Amino acid sequence: MTAEILGRGRARVEGPAKVTGAAKYAADLHPSGLAYGYLVLATVGRGTVTAVDAEAALASPGVLAVYSPFNPLKLYGGIVHSDQSFLGQNWLPLQDAEVRHHGQIVGLVVADTFEQARRGAALVRVVYDARPPVADFAAALPNAVSPGPINGEPDVLDLLAPGVPSIEAALAAAPVRAGGTYTQPPKNPVPLEPHATVAVWDQAGLTLHLGTQAAMPSALTVAAALGQDPARVRVLSEHVGGGFGGKLYTWAHPLLTAAAAQALGRPVKTVITHEQMFSVTGNRTPVHQTVELGASADGALQAVKHEAVSGLSTSGLIFEQAAHTTSRYLYKAPNIHVAQKVAMLDAPPSTWMRAPGEEPGSFALESAMDELAAKLNLDPVELRLRNYSTVVPGRGVPWSSKHLDECYRLGAARFGWNRRAQRPGSVREGDWLIGYGMASAAYPGNQFPYTMAKVRLRADGGAEVSSATADLGTGMRTVLSSVVAERLGLPGERVAAVLGDSVLPMNYGAFASAGTASTATAARAAASAAVAQLVQVAVQNAASPFHGLDPKDVVYAEGRLTGPGGLDAAFGELLTRIDVSGVEAQDGSAPPPDARNFAVHSFGAHFCEVRVHAWTSEVRLRRFTSVIDAGRIVNERTARSQIAGGLVFGIGQALFEGSVMEPASGRTANANLAEYLIPVNADVPVFDIQFLSHPDTNFNEFGARGIGELGTVGSAAAIANALFNATGRRVRDLPVTVDKLFG
Amino acid sequence: MRAFEYAAARTPADAFARTTPRTAYLAGGTTLVDLMKLGVVEPDAVIDINGLGLRGIRLDRDGLRVGALERMSDVAEHPVVAAEFPVVAQALQASASPQIRNMASIGGNLLQRTRCGYFRDVATACNKRQPGSGCPAQTGANRGHAVFGTSASCVATHASDLAVALVALDARVELAGPAGRREVPLADFYRLPGDSPQVENDLRPGELVTAVAVPRLAFARRSTYLKVRDRQSYEFALVSVAAALDVRNGTVRDVRLAVGGVGTRPWRLPLAEQALRGKRLTEATARQAVEAGTADARPLAFNAFKPALLRRTAVRTLLALGG
Ligand SMILES: Cc1cc2nc3c(=O)[nH]c(=O)nc-3n(C[C@H](O)[C@H](O)[C@H](O)COP(=O)(O)OP(=O)(O)OC[C@H]3O[C@@H](n4cnc5c(N)ncnc54)[C@H](O)[C@@H]3O)c2cc1C
Ligand code: SF4
Repeated sequence: MTAEILGRGRARVEGPAKVTGAAKYAADLHPSGLAYGYLVLATVGRGTVTAVDAEAALASPGVLAVYSPFNPLKLYGGIVHSDQSFLGQNWLPLQDAEVRHHGQIVGLVVADTFEQARRGAALVRVVYDARPPVADFAAALPNAVSPGPINGEPDVLDLLAPGVPSIEAALAAAPVRAGGTYTQPPKNPVPLEPHATVAVWDQAGLTLHLGTQAAMPSALTVAAALGQDPARVRVLSEHVGGGFGGKLYTWAHPLLTAAAAQALGRPVKTVITHEQMFSVTGNRTPVHQTVELGASADGALQAVKHEAVSGLSTSGLIFEQAAHTTSRYLYKAPNIHVAQKVAMLDAPPSTWMRAPGEEPGSFALESAMDELAAKLNLDPVELRLRNYSTVVPGRGVPWSSKHLDECYRLGAARFGWNRRAQRPGSVREGDWLIGYGMASAAYPGNQFPYTMAKVRLRADGGAEVSSATADLGTGMRTVLSSVVAERLGLPGERVAAVLGDSVLPMNYGAFASAGTASTATAARAAASAAVAQLVQVAVQNAASPFHGLDPKDVVYAEGRLTGPGGLDAAFGELLTRIDVSGVEAQDGSAPPPDARNFAVHSFGAHFCEVRVHAWTSEVRLRRFTSVIDAGRIVNERTARSQIAGGLVFGIGQALFEGSVMEPASGRTANANLAEYLIPVNADVPVFDIQFLSHPDTNFNEFGARGIGELGTVGSAAAIANALFNATGRRVRDLPVTVDKLFG
Repeated sequence: MRAFEYAAARTPADAFARTTPRTAYLAGGTTLVDLMKLGVVEPDAVIDINGLGLRGIRLDRDGLRVGALERMSDVAEHPVVAAEFPVVAQALQASASPQIRNMASIGGNLLQRTRCGYFRDVATACNKRQPGSGCPAQTGANRGHAVFGTSASCVATHASDLAVALVALDARVELAGPAGRREVPLADFYRLPGDSPQVENDLRPGELVTAVAVPRLAFARRSTYLKVRDRQSYEFALVSVAAALDVRNGTVRDVRLAVGGVGTRPWRLPLAEQALRGKRLTEATARQAVEAGTADARPLAFNAFKPALLRRTAVRTLLALGG
């Protein structure tokens, strides 16, 4: 009766709560006695705080405290980024007077109301001994350094055919070459739900309400910084209004908020503004890439050379690994060279952002492939099919499941790719130039180790699945409920999913598109374990009609236990009858497959049509087709949203997004959502999203891979390639704005 | 944001009586409250003028008269405005977002402040916000800044779309103050920055904008507003063109042309208008006229594209109107 629960378009379970406002985000909470924090941010790009005049702020109505490097809140060091600490930068706030980047936290004002705290913060006078920051990415490129190994491989990796001395030699020998230099600015994950923290202390310790993708690592990080036993810190994150990577790490403000609440003996809430997010909660680094491709006249790649330099904040931690995540494996070529460097910048902390590495890397590689196709006068889909890889270059292992070729073919057919004009700038409708473009997408199939879930079967006939992950709009609640409902043979509505709490079963959190592969497989295993536990209880409990039977003779199906002689009871009835409130069991995800046997990626192909105005070069996206190969799709409705959201991200990358860092000051000139442009609805075309259905059982029993980031990979290249097809103009510097297209 | 007093004025006289150099009138609040939150303006008291009437959208013999407190959305959707002055309706529709247009008034729109990022960030210098402190936009992030009417003190654009349309139509603003009523052509109402960019217009202390009057112009029915920006909606103009055209048998009898996103105030192109009058409208004549009318553009480091984009946008607009 419920076998089709998986795959069908089940509506998001918390949807009604979200649209009616019943869903409470961290900033919505108002525990009694609440005080409000407001951050004071540095107005110089590098230097030392020499004095803080808090007198006026302290005299301002309602202000309770002004914390600064000279009146700090004690935090404990010794935690650096590791699997156990998710601290977002390599320093702790207010513990020294150093200013490492413009917009760094240099103070926290706490007051009775939000408005009073904000006013107090405006009155704090900070005196700096300023030094010039290193904030000019272009100027820093020559000083770029090695970041060390990447994914266990050297940062400069040569996979050369026997006898080929260098990638340069391989390129020189290739009759047709194409490529160029591709650049993109820093970007910011700025979810609409601002980062918010509410810290409440009681005898049990600290409860921290925090919009986070990773409740359990946050709790461990906060406990370490506050010098608390981890058992005394609980992080709650019931709803998260978007994260995109920016809510993965624990930033400085929750630490200060928790410490202030402890110092003041009152709950404290700090909500940071969208403007503050541009410096406090991390950026995607700028990236400068060169790609050179060499091919034979029939389009067979002979050499792929891809070198990337990414910015990296002196505050740490994450840089875009553009070449190793893309050109390393996407195409079959006898000679591949990928290299990565980092240019250190006095910039806001560099952090994760949707498809880190693949986002810039796919833009460069897939643009270069389009340039090569143009040089060869070959259809871009055909070029990709001719260079299709079935084993990982240099390692020879196959993919667990790969149907990218089907994505190309099906996508081309759905889109009507055969109507594409090979000659750029040759199709016009009135004053509009029309262009088609395509690109490939690939994102690793990740699965975390040690992910645990618990399933409880209740006497009321319902079930509950729980794990310490998050639902940041991804549909994780819905997926977990559906997976467990399917295993238990219950209607989806009868299975509640509980997450967003650090005390729930072990889970790193929701990131790296690993949620379904990790948590859903754990939940499924836990459901099986709970059924086994139910059977045990049924045969052991003296009041049970199944008492004394061999567990092997008791069968669970569709919510009922049956046994010999017509014994039959719904599990809820049984538990009620024997007066047990519920049975539960935990289990974990199976370990990911051995990397020596398989590589695991999700794949996709994007096709898009653009219009460019012949006079003003305004760009309009007309339609987008994406065909996705991500194994088994657990819930097509939320999966579609994930891909669509990823595509909107790609549109932002292609046409709009970029933080403008002033070279002299390190200040972000457009640190607000009026000037940092993201697509609005009018910019988003009709999406035709199609999922292939090839369960990847080499990856996990369930056959599901990740989809959260895939839509972002390659979509910007598809747009840029379509713009070239429309206009004959190749723009290699993102975002492609009007001024770069005309002329 | 500083704590402030709030009072609702009941009559214009009441509003004038409450006025001091440290008060501000509040209409829709979409500019004022925003700037107060940023600490850019810090009035001691806010005088709410929404109770003053100052309403009405009327077309008569003399032309169109719109009360200063009419909301942008109501004016944009008014059938008479859409039919007689499409350039006005379109300029409003292309402004801000539906939510803001529902809140924002016509008077407030004309008096909105520049979107220059330094003006809005109190941690930086800005001559307009703090006279004499400097103008970082001269060499800083100035992609959105002006190419006409700039000075060494200030290069900020006037951000209103509506004002561009109204200047093209020779609109006048009606003012009322403690010393009485007067009327000023909107084009003269705005000041060039010169060496005192903090003075943006001709408004005297305590004065209210009460209405905007647009003289009758039969050929305004053939008018349009074209706004070019990086994304399709919810953004200020990179460049914009307001045009009205009287063309018969392919010959231009009369034309009005004003441009936005490029001037320190709404920028009329009289030389281009002059060059077009009596000419056949072709791509070549339009281009020549627009080039003549924009020859004095002075681009900055990051907005060098604006004169060319403006010219193309203007030619496109003229040809679309003429065709
Ligand atoms: C996100 C955003 C996007 C926007 N995009 C655009 C856009 O694309 N195009 C565009 O043109 N505009 C845009 N705007 C500006 C918007 O149109 C103005 O904020 C609005 O029109 C101001 O009207 P208001 O009634 O809210 O004015 P208020 O904020 O109430 O007042 C603005 C100023 O005018 C004064 N004032 C108001 N009414 C009177 C009066 N009758 N007499 C004397 N003084 C008065 C106030 O004291 C204040 O100084 C945008 C605004 C925002 C916030
Ligand atoms: S351009 Fe004008 S508003 Fe902008 S910083 Fe300079 S003086 Fe201030």
